[in-house]
Amino acid sequence: MPREIITLQVGQCGNQIGMEFWKQLCLEHGISKDGILEDFATQGGDRKDVFFYQADDQHYVPRALLMDLEPRVINGIQNGEYRNLYNHENVFLSDHGGGAGNNWASGYHQGEQVQEDIMDMIDREADGSDSLEGFVLCHSIAGGTGSGMGSYLLETLNDRYSKKLVQTYSVFPNQMETSDVVVQPYNSLLTLKRLTLNADCVVVLDNTALNRIAVERLHLSNPTFAQTNSLVSTVMSASTTTLRYPGYMNNDLVGLLASLIPTPRCHFLMTGYTPLTVERQTKNIMVSSYARTKEASQAKYISILNIIQGEVDPTQVHESLQRIRERKLVNFIEWGPASIQVALSRKSPYVQTAHRVSGLMLASHTSIRHLFSKCLSQYEKLRKKQAFLDNYRKFPMFADNDLSEFDESREIIESLVDEYKACESPDYIKWGMEDPDSILTGEGSATGALDPKLST
Amino acid sequence: MENSTSCPSTPRWNIERPFLTGHFHQEIKHSSQHTHYKGYSSETFSPGSKSPIGCYHASVQELLMIDDLLSALVGIEGRYTSIKRVSGKDGRFKFQVDASMDLALQELAKRIFPLCENFLLMNQFVESRSQFKNGLVNHAFAAALRALLLDYQAMVAQLEHQFRLGRLSIQGLWFFCQPLMGSMQALSSVIQKSSGENFAGSAVLNLLQSQAKAMSGDHVVRSLLEKMTESASSAYLSILERWVYEGVIDDPYDEFFIAENKSLQKEALVQDYDAKYWQQRYSLKEDIPSFLSNAAESILITGKYLNVMRECGHNAQVPVSDNSKLTNFGTNHHYLECIKVAYDFASGELLNLIKEKYDLMGKLRSLKRYLLLDQGDFLVHFMDIAREELAKRLDEISVEKLQSLLELALRTTAAAADPCHEDLTCCVERSSLLKRLSTLKDLDVNRPVSDSNGLEEPISVTGLETFSLIYKVQWPLSLIISRKALTKYQLIFRFLFHCEHVNRQLCGAWQNHQGVRALKTRGTGITRSSLLCRSMLKFINSLLHYLTFEVLEPNWHVMHCKLQTAKSIDEVIRCHDFFLEKCLKECLLLLPEVLKKVEKLKSICLQYAAATQWLISSSIEMSSGTATTDSDSVLKFEREFNFELQTLEPILNSYSQAEPYLKHLAQWILGVKDDH
Repeated sequence: MPREIITLQVGQCGNQIGMEFWKQLCLEHGISKDGILEDFATQGGDRKDVFFYQADDQHYVPRALLMDLEPRVINGIQNGEYRNLYNHENVFLSDHGGGAGNNWASGYHQGEQVQEDIMDMIDREADGSDSLEGFVLCHSIAGGTGSGMGSYLLETLNDRYSKKLVQTYSVFPNQMETSDVVVQPYNSLLTLKRLTLNADCVVVLDNTALNRIAVERLHLSNPTFAQTNSLVSTVMSASTTTLRYPGYMNNDLVGLLASLIPTPRCHFLMTGYTPLTVERQTKNIMVSSYARTKEASQAKYISILNIIQGEVDPTQVHESLQRIRERKLVNFIEWGPASIQVALSRKSPYVQTAHRVSGLMLASHTSIRHLFSKCLSQYEKLRKKQAFLDNYRKFPMFADNDLSEFDESREIIESLVDEYKACESPDYIKWGMEDPDSILTGEGSATGALDPKLST
Repeated sequence: MENSTSCPSTPRWNIERPFLTGHFHQEIKHSSQHTHYKGYSSETFSPGSKSPIGCYHASVQELLMIDDLLSALVGIEGRYTSIKRVSGKDGRFKFQVDASMDLALQELAKRIFPLCENFLLMNQFVESRSQFKNGLVNHAFAAALRALLLDYQAMVAQLEHQFRLGRLSIQGLWFFCQPLMGSMQALSSVIQKSSGENFAGSAVLNLLQSQAKAMSGDHVVRSLLEKMTESASSAYLSILERWVYEGVIDDPYDEFFIAENKSLQKEALVQDYDAKYWQQRYSLKEDIPSFLSNAAESILITGKYLNVMRECGHNAQVPVSDNSKLTNFGTNHHYLECIKVAYDFASGELLNLIKEKYDLMGKLRSLKRYLLLDQGDFLVHFMDIAREELAKRLDEISVEKLQSLLELALRTTAAAADPCHEDLTCCVERSSLLKRLSTLKDLDVNRPVSDSNGLEEPISVTGLETFSLIYKVQWPLSLIISRKALTKYQLIFRFLFHCEHVNRQLCGAWQNHQGVRALKTRGTGITRSSLLCRSMLKFINSLLHYLTFEVLEPNWHVMHCKLQTAKSIDEVIRCHDFFLEKCLKECLLLLPEVLKKVEKLKSICLQYAAATQWLISSSIEMSSGTATTDSDSVLKFEREFNFELQTLEPILNSYSQAEPYLKHLAQWILGVKDDH
């Protein structure tokens, strides 16, 4: 089966959104809770084999690996109604089951410890596919397991499967309220470094925005995880529609991403979905947040892909697209051709929705840098106080008070913010050509010292 | 009458016995020239009556004259009347009377003579037209005339009876003959015209009808002519009936106005690019009966449709009731209604057959899926597994291998669910797309003046440029998806296929850039290179997007809607052809100048994609040393690419006046220009 994609769900959040994602895929492809094709699912034309494989002739099994360092969520899945869907050999739980204690370093270290077990699982899954296209990682960047172990996985995957794509669905923490995880800025920063350097594409799922949507638009006064997670799963399934329901273009992940991502590092995508539905309330909303500051007006789109599902008159879509471009309803970068594309895709015939049409926007937008800036500033605050660093020093990476990993990460995120900022100016190309050593001394040596394995 | 060889010949006895057929008058033209008074008849009937009539008393003269006239009325010479052939006019005879006769009697006799002459003419016509070779219409007309002549002869016999009883004077004879004069005259003028021009088939019918119309003042004559028309056309109508009700041409004498060209086989539709089966297998001839001229087209089509159904092994019979018999074509236009009913039935039935049993829409959908890449995932897989084979030179490619790879790709992707995928085979054409386009002369290719120099083949044409798909189409769908239509699909496919190929290569280049993101890239050529890669990707994506999303999809959508409401197969064919024509045009395939430019851009993209790996590694090496010269090759590609892109703009603009869709393409590829 060609162009398969393996999904890795890491940590509490990763497994929760992963579970919702598989639920949604099963619904859309007419696969029952036990992985058996429903009787009504006779209309062909969809590609189940990208995300599932058929174990014997009957069962569809997700190409998914479930990993966590504490058993609560995965046990929940294994005892839940979808327990027969997954391949139980693909579940990894740490022996002690103690979790990572919201500590990135702990998660990373534990990942390193169990590297062999995990890589065996990944290799086995990769061997089971004809021409593996890449991996999708679901995790959050704030906690311990998803961020730490996820980071470790990203590095290892990049090393071991250098020709394969790695896409992540990364949940960014809620920055509006004080988090229960005090070291969240540390974790975020360290993970962001790996997302920048070791992933081909990061779909940013901003908890702040998700919560705001739930509260303001869907009028859920206290949105539960399940509710926000179902928003996430909607986005995830919609962004993979063109792979599962093939059309003229974007039938493979690389084609989908290549048109969206301009330069190797600027690979953070924002999403918007309309109409969003949670328990029959619907609104048209952007999922990823914008920083509502003055600077936001400077923000520009680098590229946009709209995936439209359902019965649409293509001439109509074309006209509205024309309108957007002609009236300049959208701010595009000035240094290159504006890339706005539409992919028309079929809708699952098995899922009844109130709407004839739904649409997902995947966009590369420069305002994403505000999210990173915020991470940086939160980190600086914490770092200045030298707070909670002891927890990290316990682990090899930070042993002997070696905090260079933090500094390195900070610099990479800073340069990422710079690059996005440069994208907003008309002479971005010149920026790329300048020798940064003359402006930012020291950066060269810092980045040059990075993982030497990747330089080929 | 080219076809006359096939009809039976008239037996010899019919020709050898002139008195049986009234042929002896023909003989006269040879004999009577010399022997003025010596007809064969006069010698047998009145030997020795040599004394001129003038020597009798007038009352005796009258009796003799009546006797002679009664003979003359049925075309026999009398003692004092003779038949003379009028020289110059074909088959025209003149009765003459002994000049010594009483002048008053002579005058009356001469008044009656035209009737005799007309009788002779008609009789002769009846005999000659009854021969096989003259066709059904003439037979029917002759038969009707014969019936009329029988009545006429009966009348003469009654007059003779009266004469024997001594009750008929010459004035009386004139009185009884008078009403006939007009009708006989009218008929004989028809006959003269018809035999003069040797009319047959519909020409006879046309003549009769136009004469009837011309005689509209004379009620009696008119109704007679109408009756004649009706009788004459009944045979014709039964031919027509079989055609519109069964789709059979039952026309032994080649009179019907629809011709069948048996040399055109339906099998040619799937093989021959210029197959004319549908256009020329059945065609209208020149001479269409005027009463059918308005309906001729639909009559032709009705039978054509019935034929297609019969060829499909489907019962092709318009349900016939008593009411729908085509018996006459009187003024009530009943026959036109019958034809319309038959037409509606045939076109509805055939359309239904093609749509339901042969699943036209399904086939078109799968054509769209495979040849227009509507569901392109199979192609992604195919290009993955056939990459090496396709990159070979033309004469090294194994089509069998490609075929098996294609089948594999189809089996393992979403296409597996579609039963039509088995109809797909692949082929490798011999020439590049531009060359192929220039060989198809009937396409409305917009040829620039300097056409000749730009068409030499690229040096190395590989399978990537010439790979194409073939879709097997069966009769009767080959009517719609003919070889020609399929060729157009293939042209579009080849263009799309190559664009997809370029896109894939650029995606590979993109992935190469992704591999170095962990390195310090600022200040090296890599950023520049990745932005160029982005521009190229943008170009090829925009092009593909334009082709699929702006050309193929909307046009298909429009065609699909039209096909849903189409009333006949011809309309379906028209819609489908229109769709293909429009797509070809909007896909730039008919604009060689633009197409050449696009091909050039694509080839730059391919060169760049092939060079990226090297460009990147050299950039990395360079960055450690001299940081200024490293990006030269990137710049070279960039300059070349931008130059081609910029020169494309004026070309697109200059064409976009005539072809507005190019404006859209320009917007896609070059972006919206807001400063103008």
